[in-house]
Amino acid sequence: MPGMDNLFSRLKEVIGEAHILREPNQLKNFSVDGTRPKAILSPGTIEEVSKVVSLANEQRLSIIPMGNGTKMEMGGIPKKGDWILSTLRLNHITDSDCDNLTLSAESGMTLSEIQSQLGKIGRGYFLPLDPPFVEKATLGGIVATNSSGPRRLLYGTVRDLMIGARAVLPNGDVVTSGGKTVKNVSGYDLCKLLIGSYGTLGILCEMTFKLLPLPEKEATLVAPFPKLEEAVQFGRHLLRSQYLPASMEILNGTAVKKIYPPFAHQELYLVAIGLDGVSEAIDRQVSEMSEIAKEKGSLPPSVLQSESHASFWKAIRDFPAQLKQEGKSFISLKSNFLISRYGEVIARYEQMAKASGVECALICHAGNGVLYTYLFIDPKREEKSGSIPSLIEEFSSVVRKYEGQLMVEFSPPDIKKKIDVWGGWRPDYEIMRRIKEKIDPQGILNPGRFVGGI
Amino acid sequence: MNREKMIEELSKIVGKENVLYSDTDLLLYGYDASLFKGKPDCIVFPGSTEEVSKVVKFCHQEKIPVIPRGSGTNLSGGTIPTKGGVIVHFSRMNKILEIDLENQRAVVEPGLFTLTLKNQLVRYGYVYQPDPASEKVSTFGGNFAENSGGPHCLKYGVTTNHVLGAEVVLPDGEVIQVGGKALDQPGYDLTGLLVGSEGTLGIATKLILRIMPKPEAVKTLLAIFNSLEDAGRTVSAIIADGIVPATLEILDKLTIKAVEESVHAGFPLDAEAVLLIEIDGLKDGMERLAERIMDICRKNQAREVRSAKTESERMQLWAGRKGAFGAIARLRPNYLVCDGTVPRTKLPEVLTRVMEVSKKYNLPIANVFHAGDGNLHPLILFDERDEDELKRVHLAGSEIMKLCADAGGTISGEHGIGTEKMREMLFVFSPQDIAAMKKVKMAFDPEEILNPGKVLPEVSA
Repeated sequence: MPGMDNLFSRLKEVIGEAHILREPNQLKNFSVDGTRPKAILSPGTIEEVSKVVSLANEQRLSIIPMGNGTKMEMGGIPKKGDWILSTLRLNHITDSDCDNLTLSAESGMTLSEIQSQLGKIGRGYFLPLDPPFVEKATLGGIVATNSSGPRRLLYGTVRDLMIGARAVLPNGDVVTSGGKTVKNVSGYDLCKLLIGSYGTLGILCEMTFKLLPLPEKEATLVAPFPKLEEAVQFGRHLLRSQYLPASMEILNGTAVKKIYPPFAHQELYLVAIGLDGVSEAIDRQVSEMSEIAKEKGSLPPSVLQSESHASFWKAIRDFPAQLKQEGKSFISLKSNFLISRYGEVIARYEQMAKASGVECALICHAGNGVLYTYLFIDPKREEKSGSIPSLIEEFSSVVRKYEGQLMVEFSPPDIKKKIDVWGGWRPDYEIMRRIKEKIDPQGILNPGRFVGGI
Repeated sequence: MNREKMIEELSKIVGKENVLYSDTDLLLYGYDASLFKGKPDCIVFPGSTEEVSKVVKFCHQEKIPVIPRGSGTNLSGGTIPTKGGVIVHFSRMNKILEIDLENQRAVVEPGLFTLTLKNQLVRYGYVYQPDPASEKVSTFGGNFAENSGGPHCLKYGVTTNHVLGAEVVLPDGEVIQVGGKALDQPGYDLTGLLVGSEGTLGIATKLILRIMPKPEAVKTLLAIFNSLEDAGRTVSAIIADGIVPATLEILDKLTIKAVEESVHAGFPLDAEAVLLIEIDGLKDGMERLAERIMDICRKNQAREVRSAKTESERMQLWAGRKGAFGAIARLRPNYLVCDGTVPRTKLPEVLTRVMEVSKKYNLPIANVFHAGDGNLHPLILFDERDEDELKRVHLAGSEIMKLCADAGGTISGEHGIGTEKMREMLFVFSPQDIAAMKKVKMAFDPEEILNPGKVLPEVSA
């Protein structure tokens, strides 16, 4: 097609031939739910991103943004996907101001690279986010999907930590929101709109985050409970207390087997409390919390420090990455609900999964009312997979009762075709659709992957 | 539509006794805590979400501007009826609907005073963290619209970090729920977008707030300085040392004098600045942290560092800070509060430049501000009856905003843009940035019914 060739010669002028991938054999590895892109484009600067997006808009071609691709299965099935825009060449720290406790960096950088650089500056700093895919997750992907981890209990999520952003809108405009100040009410907070927008409003290019100094000491208290109800009582007690745990996770037996080998052979619920801070505070919390755990019915709790502490949390965060690496076929779900209801939700999910004959691992941010569920699909019982969508619907009805929703995070496309991965319609989706239409009238950014068909 | 007809229709919705329109009333509701004035057509006092929705629907049909309003403590002219219209006042919708300790949430109506909720939470040992200086009367609807801050926001974040959901009346009268008691609702973060949108996108009629157990221990220190720059430098040094206290507040000499004359907080009159420091959290290691902070103060030329020994000593120090704006109001008939915010590393140099502006325009400036956030509040003192002085005040205010923007900061940290700073939006945003915000406005309010003439300047992108 002469039109196409002309277009690609314009793209070459913008980003250089070396940064355009069009080999059919390679492109097939980039399919998103079966949609194969026509090109992978890797702009090296924000200005180049702007030009690429402008071209796409002019030609009504759709763009799927991508970093290291750890979350490409997430969201609905794309309606279209002409180009994949890779952010991986946007990989610089643009402003490191530890004295102000802020850092600005481009979206293609991995969080792990940022953390390792921050750790070496002065007394050592960190960006208090700990989402899944420890080594590979890029800032852009983390922000676009509002990805978070166990320590959100103490430090919050991207919405609490990102104070500035530069993004390219569908018309090619490079737009700035927020900045380097920790307080800012100048104009609408477009940062909030971009967080968790799954690339449907703009291509995130550069972000500014709040930093903190590395804690003086870290430790983990691991309390194994034979009964769920006891584990829940323990968690409830801590939430009402004045202790300041950084994280509080509850794992069911299936998750424990894969994450914490010492208890691989027992059916237990594990409560893991992450603690960060000054050493006196860690020591007191560890000892007092251990006593409380035992009173509530825990087997003798253990304390993890340094290496064992770090590897425990890495295993939790990288649980989905680990499953992928093992080639396991699984579906992962994220449920949110009232923070006091994790006990009921865990119990109901386990009963329902058991009744459907599906094995499930549960990892719950117990202080935040967020539960990750991993359903293992047994290839030998393929006929049973028909029951997965109805099981997901049963789960959904549980969390809806507790003012939450269920979202399917990772799933093969055949399941996605049968259900709404976003957990159904909410009345505020209408206004979201209007925002999308104003900002992206031609629907070129990631069409079909967001809520309500956006 | 003529005014009589409008009042008649609105009276049908909220009841005759809940509509005001006398000349005196129009004067009383035509101003707020800023320097601006306007004139509404009438003021309505709805008693329920349904009534708010009906009022807005009616105004939408008739293309009448709607201006939501709480206590009018707004400092940027956000509640001024610049184009006339109907003021929707929330004093009748002022209830705590629910305190849900188990889920760490409170649900309130927009007309509730901030402090009223906090006082109720005390008995359970819980807190709502944001603490705007006007919390005695500032309403949650206002906090929501302005994304209010306060001294404790350094550690705990501003209003947006503590509002998790809302019931909102859209500009066409439709009622929607955004966010919720549970975290991470799917979709765009409309709650986050609406907080700080200054009543231009939607009107909150119910708010879901985050509450938390109160910290186990608290310690309050006062450092006294012979120079304002040294106080600023101390703040930069504390943050650079990786310490994030709950509070870092600076009061300068002029403020100290005013405060001592009115509330007697015990600040020394010959000091150039005092720095109020509060740390909170677990009791363990707190003494050690306080020592570290005192050490930094001394290294930066603090002439004395005091520590509040008792709760009443602590309250006395805080009375000095909280009463500061009121005390300064006694010095001259009027003041303009600037709200520029800068990276914390820039504090000392920006403070010096603010005082240069004071000299240049021959206007006294008092400084009392959230230093730990880099959020300055230079108060320019004047007499509005002196026209020349008033002119200089506006020039000085704009110049301070410019120098904050030039230092890598912004023109408003917590008071909003309102009618006051629209022109200065271009100090920090490009026409493309403004155009993007305008698109958001158009998605919500294409007819520009809600609080028109605020926040966004006219630009051609």
